[in-house]
Amino acid sequence: MAKRGKAALYAAALAAYAFLYVPLVIVVLFSFSASRLGTQWAGFTLGWYVMLLHDADMLHAAWNSLVIALAASLAAIVFGTLAALATHKYRLRFLPVLVLAPLSTPDILQGVSLLVFFVLLNVSLGLRSIMLAHTSFCIAYVAIVVSSRLAGMDPSLVEAARDLGASPWKGFWLVTLPLLVPGILAGGLLAFTMSIDDFVITFFTAGAGTSTLPLRIYTMIKVAVTPEVNAVSTLLMALTLVLVISISRLAPQALKGMG
Amino acid sequence: MARRLAMVVAAGLVAFLVAGLVRANGVLHLYNWNNYIAPQTLARFETVCRCRVAYDTYGSNEELLARLAAGATGYDILVPTGNAVQSLIRAGRLLPLDKRKLPNLANIDPTYLNGFYDPGNVYSVPYAYTITLLGYNVEKMRELGIPTDTWAALFDPRYLKRLRGRVTVLDDPRELLAAALKYLGYSANDTDPSHWQRAAEVIINAKPYWAAFNNTSYIRLMASGDVWLAQGYSNDFFQAGREAERAGEPFTIAFNVPKEGAVLAVDNMVVPKGAPRPDLAYQFIDFMLEGRNASELTNLIGSGNPNRAALPFIRPAIAANRAIFPDHAVLGRLEELHELDRGQRRFLNRLWLEIKLH
Amino acid sequence: MSISRGVPKRRSSSMTSRARLARWALSGPPLAFLAVFFLIPTLIMGLASFGWPGQEGGLSPLWYHDAAGWHFDLTLGNYRDIFTLKLFLALYLRSLGYALATTVCCLVGAYPLALVIARARARYRNLLLLLVIVPFWSNFLIRIYAWMIILGPQAALSRGVNAVLGLFGFGPTSLLFSPFAVLMGLVYVSLPFMILPLYANLEKHDPALLEAARDLGASAWACFWRVTFPLAVPGVIAGATLVFIPALGAFAVPDILGGTRGIMIGNVIEMEFLQARDWPFGAALSIMLTFLALGATGLAAWAARRGVKAYG
Repeated sequence: MAKRGKAALYAAALAAYAFLYVPLVIVVLFSFSASRLGTQWAGFTLGWYVMLLHDADMLHAAWNSLVIALAASLAAIVFGTLAALATHKYRLRFLPVLVLAPLSTPDILQGVSLLVFFVLLNVSLGLRSIMLAHTSFCIAYVAIVVSSRLAGMDPSLVEAARDLGASPWKGFWLVTLPLLVPGILAGGLLAFTMSIDDFVITFFTAGAGTSTLPLRIYTMIKVAVTPEVNAVSTLLMALTLVLVISISRLAPQALKGMG
Repeated sequence: MARRLAMVVAAGLVAFLVAGLVRANGVLHLYNWNNYIAPQTLARFETVCRCRVAYDTYGSNEELLARLAAGATGYDILVPTGNAVQSLIRAGRLLPLDKRKLPNLANIDPTYLNGFYDPGNVYSVPYAYTITLLGYNVEKMRELGIPTDTWAALFDPRYLKRLRGRVTVLDDPRELLAAALKYLGYSANDTDPSHWQRAAEVIINAKPYWAAFNNTSYIRLMASGDVWLAQGYSNDFFQAGREAERAGEPFTIAFNVPKEGAVLAVDNMVVPKGAPRPDLAYQFIDFMLEGRNASELTNLIGSGNPNRAALPFIRPAIAANRAIFPDHAVLGRLEELHELDRGQRRFLNRLWLEIKLH
Repeated sequence: MSISRGVPKRRSSSMTSRARLARWALSGPPLAFLAVFFLIPTLIMGLASFGWPGQEGGLSPLWYHDAAGWHFDLTLGNYRDIFTLKLFLALYLRSLGYALATTVCCLVGAYPLALVIARARARYRNLLLLLVIVPFWSNFLIRIYAWMIILGPQAALSRGVNAVLGLFGFGPTSLLFSPFAVLMGLVYVSLPFMILPLYANLEKHDPALLEAARDLGASAWACFWRVTFPLAVPGVIAGATLVFIPALGAFAVPDILGGTRGIMIGNVIEMEFLQARDWPFGAALSIMLTFLALGATGLAAWAARRGVKAYG
């Protein structure tokens, strides 16, 4: 590519990063601001973090959010990858539509209908019901990304493996799956992100005493946003980052395919 | 950094678990507005009842009703506004209260008993109240020469011309319509479609001058000086004023009940049918009816307080504010909203859409 | 899903029982899960969309039984209202416009970044990819509120824009509470959903192809249009799906950033379920939105596939 083209490409990429990070900088910055309203800077303080540490409910909600997002994205990875493989391999008409449908159904309809459904079946509301609900809308994210990865995959690779005498299972395990890993991880990350941020569906499927961070933050914002909300968001982000990095340290194989 | 974070979180979790172990008497599930009980009150109740309070929050009566309508259960105490109490009673979702278990009920000012929604207070006990009124930036309004004791400031283009883009109204069809109805001289509970239509016209004419329909951030926007006039709740303006003062802003925020009248919202403690721990619920209600316990919320957020025994504990500046504690003259101008029926709700919703799309 | 049907199976006519087992082993679990936790609950609400709202909200019983036998209390009125009242059609159209604009902006914004990541040295790719998603682990609402500060009248951005407008003799304009703010908010929350699928697709492209094209004398632009982009189409479709569909039903962004005119169909559905407690009408609006989203996505996927075929 011409040098100028390359420079333009990098500039555009940098601009996209900047666009993603400007609001984040504000969020983090104001978690250290002494002003209660977070509209202007009023000196540095760690007070909001101290306050947060004494807010057992808030920490518990953050913990719930993490657990739910992990469970839902793992389940979505399994179901979503299966769905993508099935759709790729066979001429299915119903499954692709069913996978896409939760994405295109308004959150609030899903929330209300799941609550009605759980109540009808006498399923107790709590972490478990939220996880089930989240899994149902997370599957689409994994399936879509994995599908797009599968779409252009070179079928000759699998055939080569088969020609070399590998069983279909072995061929899948040794050739297809490793090639899919970047798609699976990208989809899983999207699913995790959707789950940890979900408000509407969680609002309806949560039981008494089971709160998640978005539920708490939503009602807090209704009154006034104190920087404690910024602090807990910052903390959650840091925690997720640590989690992802330690997974990649503990299981470097898992992330290898990405790079 | 990572290790420190992990330790910090672990410490929080341990504290949480330990706190749970000490409270052997089970869990009270409280479903209440956010920031609608003082932390020290909550802590004291947990000591008294030797139980833990699981405090879940909602942001509007509609959210509460929508969840309950879909069948959500598991709560011991709810704190809905009068019209929502009315709906819950009609739907048969509340437990009648045994007054013998609530000796402190005598502390409540009779003005706030026997609401239209629950004559004889069979199901509900008043908790706190707010008034939907006008909040404003005192200096700006004086500078621009705009009266602050009338809804005209919010609806009359003559005044709005000077306030363009600096006004917000509530994103709530019922509240905004009530204000417009009051401005036109009707009752807030008027349900005549032609009157609603006139009120909608008033709103549509004023809308181009408003910055936003907003329930959530007008406290911030006023305290930062971005918004100069807003329709909102008395306790929110109280907090906005305090925030502006703390931030050392060069202006003050005040709020008034307009002379045409305004909406009073009384929030009540009720026990839903199927509550897991009605015993703890009674204990909680009676505890919250004690003067000192009731006063702490008012001191925290500037809410109105129906509890006479609470008055001695309330900061004088708050107790003297007639837009928080209305006297008889002001009370005469206040109306509580009644619940609409399903046909009216549908009609109102479509009228609201037309307003928003205009 | 990019509904990518693979190569037709050679032996599909004489499918062995083992192959059938494999087929069910793959499609069975997601099918079962989604049938139970999505399809059945949604069908219940689908049925509800033919009912009347309950007096206190929710749903009035769809049928009842008395001495005279069974009675059904169903209506097509909810759907009739959607199609006959201009109000709702206007809202669907407006949402469609916002969602399309968001998708296009996201594609333009995401493509260079995805390409840079895909071309980066292998050991940096993880990090670069992680950087895309990290901001999204802080809370959604908090980030939108941060945009309120950025676009607010006191912020540098608004002052700058208004200073420039002033030079050309235009009065001050508000960035916050405007259609611009809504579009920007939508692009912001959707961008990673375009970047990740695009990256997952671009990453597997063979750079040798591009070099071959360039060796044959193709310009950079021609390389892009003739080689890179057609190969990227599955990624674009995946990303566009993930951006377009949620944007179509968005409600939080227009609610917070849109001001007095920021309303999309998602807000209306929200209002029907909450403020009006009118489940039947809310359900009918939701189901129309689902069909619209699925229809538009299917159409786009079909057109894209044809486009690719035309090239090939």
